[in-house]
This record gives sequence, structure tokens and C-alpha cells, in this order.
Amino acid sequence: MEAMAMMPYQQEQTNHIERPIQHRFSPYDFNGGTVLAIAGEDFAVIASDTRLMTGFSILARDVPKTTQYTTNTVVGSCGFHGDVLTLTKVIQTRLKMFTYLHQKEMDTSSVAAMLSTVLYYRRFFPYYVYNIVAGIDTEGKGCVYSFDPVGSYERETYRAGGSASSMLQPLLDNQIGMKNQEGAKQVPLAKAKAVALVKDVFTSAAERDIHTGDAVCIHVITKQGTTKETYPLRRD
Amino acid sequence: MFLTRSEYDRGVNTFSPEGRLFQVEYAIEAIKLGSTAIGIQTNEGVVLAVEKRVTSPLIEPTSIEKIMEVDKHIGCAMSGLIADSRTLIDRARVEAQNHWFTYNENMSVESVTQAVSNLALAFGDDDPDPGAMSRPFGVALLLAGIDKDGPRLFHMDPSGTFIQYDAKAIGSGSEGAQQALQEQFHKSITLKDACKSALTILKQVMEEKLSATNVEMATVTTDRLFQMLSKDELEAIIKDL
Amino acid sequence: MSILAYNGAAIIAMKGKDCVAIAADRRFGVQAQTVSMDFDKVFEMGPHLFVGLPGLATDVQTISQRLKFRLNLYELRENRRIKPQTFMSMVSNLLYERRFGPYFVEPVIAGLDSKTNQPYIASMDLIGCPMITDDFVVSGTCSEQMYGMCESLWEPDLSPDDLFETISQALMNAFDRDALSGWGGVVYIIEKDKVTKKLLKTRMD
Repeated sequence: MEAMAMMPYQQEQTNHIERPIQHRFSPYDFNGGTVLAIAGEDFAVIASDTRLMTGFSILARDVPKTTQYTTNTVVGSCGFHGDVLTLTKVIQTRLKMFTYLHQKEMDTSSVAAMLSTVLYYRRFFPYYVYNIVAGIDTEGKGCVYSFDPVGSYERETYRAGGSASSMLQPLLDNQIGMKNQEGAKQVPLAKAKAVALVKDVFTSAAERDIHTGDAVCIHVITKQGTTKETYPLRRD
Repeated sequence: MFLTRSEYDRGVNTFSPEGRLFQVEYAIEAIKLGSTAIGIQTNEGVVLAVEKRVTSPLIEPTSIEKIMEVDKHIGCAMSGLIADSRTLIDRARVEAQNHWFTYNENMSVESVTQAVSNLALAFGDDDPDPGAMSRPFGVALLLAGIDKDGPRLFHMDPSGTFIQYDAKAIGSGSEGAQQALQEQFHKSITLKDACKSALTILKQVMEEKLSATNVEMATVTTDRLFQMLSKDELEAIIKDL
Repeated sequence: MSILAYNGAAIIAMKGKDCVAIAADRRFGVQAQTVSMDFDKVFEMGPHLFVGLPGLATDVQTISQRLKFRLNLYELRENRRIKPQTFMSMVSNLLYERRFGPYFVEPVIAGLDSKTNQPYIASMDLIGCPMITDDFVVSGTCSEQMYGMCESLWEPDLSPDDLFETISQALMNAFDRDALSGWGGVVYIIEKDKVTKKLLKTRMD
């Protein structure tokens, strides 16, 4: 009995050996969000949800992850919102300087090339941001460029990025890329069909992905300029 | 005659009471000692032509280079202290490549010229940027190229001032040559005629007899971009003069 | 890397009108290396009852055999066909017996009730926690992709033909975006009076 009574005391002794407590600062967070872009013959559609999260809490329900950079370029960026804001500012500053220096608006292809270099300059402390650039190219065709956080990029006809990208991408493969459809012909995608598809897939993503929801903000980019539309999603 | 200026023509960053920068003006004078260079802009492209002063039969003429490539789509002719131009051309090349690297597009001729003129004006700094000198550059440039706005020709002098021209002559024979250009140039001139004009005018202002060895010529066109003319091509044009 | 993703798999079960379907990929691999393309992950447990076992391949085969063992005992003892619900409990029990040293499989069950012919689908985690749904269940290394596809393609009361098309498209497009599953597919369409097995030809990369 006596030995047993001693135990808590002894344990306290060993537990009270003072050792330094290490606190580590984590520079990144993940604030959710999904972006999606589709290039058509003479237009491009880019959309993002408007929910901002951290962990299981919703920070805001009305923050689109898309930014209009030039008259015919819109960029969708999601990941760590702090980096999204900084990167967006850096790019906008660079665009303004470019216009002052070269007396012209930057082409969508150049916005993509510049974004790639800006991201790569942070190769060893990256902006935690997934970007998709959508716009009209110099030939007047719709274009989409997708990026990884350190600047690897590629021109594509459609791409989903962010938290629900793995849910959306296979569906785009099927519905736009006509993958696994025997004998199906590649018909030019109509603008209205593209927008309807965007609403459809975001509704599906909001169903299963907790980081995606509240609303989806859809930009349609043409030579004439861009239009914006907001479509509600489930808010739970 | 220079005695009255003696107090103000030393420092490169001191204005005279009349508001002049003598060192810059002297540098512009230095161009007038250089060999003649001509540039003509046409709807099809731009042509650059320069004379080479082969002052001794022992000189290897091909080692005198007064037209250089800045990028695939931009060329540059020069007159004055050619050694000074190396720094400027280097800068132009670096800027053009940087622009391509960052924006994946060709840099416009005007932007390249602007970048070079920034360097031309950076003389006399206390802590100079790489490439900047303690005195003005003693060279003038004719930058010719193709960009979104089509064929373009720019002239830049040691003061860093740059102006777009339809046709421009620099160097020792520039006065006569410019007069001749004004008479011969018209908006619908073909590239072929422009090449011919350039050589005709050079022939008039050159002291030596013009031949395929003592002139250099280059064209910048939409489909072939920057292209130096070979000796054979030069001879073919000279034959027709 | 998770042991559940060591060999790679993709399995979906879906309800239709008076029918159910279960579909799986055919790959057997060891991490990134594909070993064979004719691997069975769906097992017949009765005339209208199938179980799909995605997960660690060795456990897939062990579990399929132990389930068949218990099922045979049950049917001998009871002298009747097992109900899908009962079979689901049997699978759940088998897995929970290894609560602290689990088999690395997350089964999917699809079948028609032996008496009422009601469609039944369920899935469970590796320790036997069941999930019974009215639409579809998915399990495997590309579950997010499968959820994305099913959520958009599935609709209530699909006919057997439409159900086949839906489950096939959902499966193929999902596993084409997963490096660990794919390499051919198999679909079972289970109806009251027949079960149709179809092999899917897919991209093999």
C-alpha cells in the first residue's frame, strides 16, 4: 500500500523535469475553394465558389476566388487566402507597370507566362495558391491555363482546381473531353451549355465537399468583355 | 571658342547657366565623326545599311561589325564610338530576352529602345548600375524591327532621346544622306527599292568607292525577321545601282 | 502511404428501378507498378448478391473466402438464402472482430432481397461501420472522383440499361483520373431473373 501511495509522487517527480516547450509557427492555412475554367471557340468561362473556410468554420460566404486582371483575362486562385491576396496584388501591380512601360494591355498568354515566373521566384517558400487563367488569346480564341503552386503551367481546354477539383475533373473529361464515349463527335461547345454545365458540376461538388458551397460566381469572357453571374449553392 | 565654356564642360551632371549639358552635346558631336549609317522603314520591313571604313588594306573587313542582331525580330545599326555600343547592345539583348522569358512574347521595338535609352542616360551616377558609365555614350543607334505595329525604325542619340523615323541617316555623311532620304522616301516604297536607295545614298556620301566589302546591310521583315545580307546579295544590288 | 491504397481499386454500387449494379476496376498493382489486369474484386455471394472488396489484395482474397465460409454455414444451418441486410451484418461482424488489427478492405455490397426483390446497396469502412444509402456507394483509391461522377450522373429509377451506362461512365471517368486503379472494368447488373456481367474495355495507361 505504501509503495502504491508513493507512485503518484514519483510520477510527479519524473513529469516535472523541465524541458523547453517548442512552439512552431505554421505559415500556411487552407481556406478551401474550387475554381473551374472552360475554353470555347470564341469565349472562355471561369467560375469559383464563394465560400471561405478554415478547418470546419466558415469565415465568409461571399468571397469569389476570381479576379479580373485585364479586359479579357480573369484568373481564379484558391488555396491559402493570405497568399491569394498577396499574389493577386503582386500580379496587378506588375500589370499596371507593364501597361505604363509598353503602352498596351497584357495578352492572356503573357499574363500566364508572367504568373509562372512570379510563382517560380518563390520556389522554396511558395505561394500556396492554385491558379487557373482564362481569357481570349491573340487569335480571338478562348484559352485556359492551369498552374501548380510553383509555376508549372499548361494550356488546356478545361480544368478544375482547388478543393473539389478531383470531383469535377473526371466529369469535365466525360462531358467536354468526350472521354470514354465511343463514336461521340467533338462538337464545338456552346456558351449556354458551358454555363449550364458549370452550375451543374458546382452543385454536385457542394453536395460532397464541405469546402465548397454558398454560391458560384461565373464569368463569361468574350472579345467584347466579360459578364458576371452568381448562382446559389447549398450553404451547409 | 571653347574658352567661355571651360567651367561647365567638365562635370557630366552640371548644367551651364544657359541650361546646357556640354558633355552630352560633345558626345552628340562625336557621332558626326563616325561612319554613315542609314535606316529606311517600308511596309514590308526595315532596311539598315552602314559604311565600313577599311582604312588599311591589312584590315580584315569582316571583322568590322556595325550592324548587330538584338533579337530575332530586332536589328541595330550604329555610328560613333563602336566600342561604346557593345554595352548598349548587351543591355538591349538582355532586356529583349528578359521580356521573352517573363511574358512569352517578343519585346516591342519601342520598349527595347526605351530600355537602352534608360542606360544611355544613366551616366555620372554616384553608385552606378551595371553597364552605366561615368560619361555619356559616344554612339548613336538605329534600332529596326518588327512588332505588333509592323515594321518600326527608331533613332537614339547619346542624350538618350529616341524618335521614330520613316528614314534616318547618322554619322559623318548624315547631313547629305538625310537630305537625299527626304527626296527619295515615299510611304509606298518597296523593301527592294529601299535597299537600293540606301546603297545609292551611301555611295554618294562615302569617301571610298562603295563595294560589297565596305558596306554592311541587313533587313528585318515579317517572315524572315532579322537577316544580314550576304556578300553575294550585296553584289547583286550594287550591280543594279 | 496508406495500406488501403497499396494495391489500388475502384468500386461502385448503384440502385436502379428493380435492379442494382456493382462495378469494379480490374487492376492489381503494387504501388505504382501494375502487375495484372484481370484481378477479381467483386465476388458472387448468392444468385442476387455481390460484394466488392477494394483494399489490400491479400485481405481482399482472405475476406472473400472467409465470407463464403460463413455464408455457407449460415445457409446450411438456416436452409434458406441470406438477405442482403443479413449478409451486410455478417461482413460488418467479420471486420469488427479485428477491431484493433483490421483487414484493410472497405467493402461494398449490392443485391436484391431474396424474398421481396428490393434493391439493396451498402458500404462500410475497414472495421465494419456500415453505410446504407438509397442512391449509390463508392469505395477505393479514387472515391472523390467517383463521388463527383455519381453525384452528377445518377438519377432515381434508372432502367437496367441506363443503370449500366451510368455506372460504367461513372467508374471509367473516375478511375482514368487515378493512377492506382483502372486497366479495364467489370460491371454486374442484377435483376430479378438475371444477372448480366459485362467487361469494360478502357484505356490501359
